Amino acid sequence: MNETQITFGAATLLGAVGLWLMLPRGSHRGRWLGVLCALGSLGLFGYLAPRMYLAEESTAALAGELVFMLLAVVTIVSAAATISMRNPVYSAIWFAMSLLGTSGLFLYQGAQFLAVATIVVYAGAILVTFLFVLMLAQPKGHAYYDRLSWEALLSAGTGAVLVGVLTMAIDSSMKSDESRPKSAAAEQSTDQAPVVLAEQHVAHLGAQLFSKYLIAVEVVGTLLLVALVGAVAIVSGDRKPSDRPKGAGHA
Amino acid sequence: MPSDVVLLHNYLIVGALLFGIGLVGFLARRNMIVMFLCAEIMLQGVAVSLVAWGRFHNNWGGQIMVIFILAVAACEAGIALAMILMLYHRSGNLDIVFWQNLREENQPPHVDREIPEDVEGPRTWPTLTPAGVEPELDVEKTLHRSKV
Repeated sequence: MNETQITFGAATLLGAVGLWLMLPRGSHRGRWLGVLCALGSLGLFGYLAPRMYLAEESTAALAGELVFMLLAVVTIVSAAATISMRNPVYSAIWFAMSLLGTSGLFLYQGAQFLAVATIVVYAGAILVTFLFVLMLAQPKGHAYYDRLSWEALLSAGTGAVLVGVLTMAIDSSMKSDESRPKSAAAEQSTDQAPVVLAEQHVAHLGAQLFSKYLIAVEVVGTLLLVALVGAVAIVSGDRKPSDRPKGAGHA
Repeated sequence: MPSDVVLLHNYLIVGALLFGIGLVGFLARRNMIVMFLCAEIMLQGVAVSLVAWGRFHNNWGGQIMVIFILAVAACEAGIALAMILMLYHRSGNLDIVFWQNLREENQPPHVDREIPEDVEGPRTWPTLTPAGVEPELDVEKTLHRSKV
């Protein structure tokens, strides 16, 4: 265990305490202290993350670093707000904000199609359906179960263990030379631009999707059909036999 | 560290944090809809990591995988919302504790020790001050409906 790993562990613990205080526990006491703890932990993570502009030392790299930091902070803060809001509608809105941050992160990696698809599929379809069900199934006033949590402390501890192990493992494997994954540029030792960042990005992605991964596309299409039929069957499943139209005999 | 390794490192950290936050929310929250939002946050964390690996290895596999994740998430959301609607019709609320009969045999039931009261109280909505001259209302015009 070196110093960085201990600091990663400390940041994770601080974040877990912050999340625990922010989760609904029946009272509002300590909520703002939790926000402060979580922000402090996020700042520690940002401080520990290696800097991109130190590797290249250019103004463009510094600007890119700042954009990445901004997107990451938006994504993570919105995700934390999603799980700590008392009102589920606010949770859904914060989740949409988190999705915007994620699609920004995709765009930063050059995944233009995914950035647009995330917004269209998630924010456009899934989230609107969630909000629709929320409006349909919301009892009057604030529900008591939005002001309580299951075992908030144990859940935060579980998350802290997982994130702590993950971040320490990522950091140590990236810093030691022998176990560091070799990038494509290092393997091929050619200075051509990465294929993933090629011009006509969507055309290349579609060509891959419908040639190399064609069977997977077919399987996913079938899965969508099955899910559609399943959802219809679930919703209309418990009709009484007397509701059936006459003539539809029992098989 | 070279700059591409730094980029991968930072994206993996962001993905791990998103996954952890979603996990904590899924375990702790009791509203079924918020639980499913948390599951989607976990999927987003995985997607961020996959895109970073794809860029790092100069391979389309990461992005293609995320497209499939999107499709599976859409299926999951459709079925989950249908189930939530059915469960709501039976129980009258979105509380997951209502269904704790499905727990294992030797587990003690969960009983709420105290239900906190709603501290936020009744909402007050903003009102607009009337401005300008109030127009005269023609009673006959409001009663007359030409198209009916």
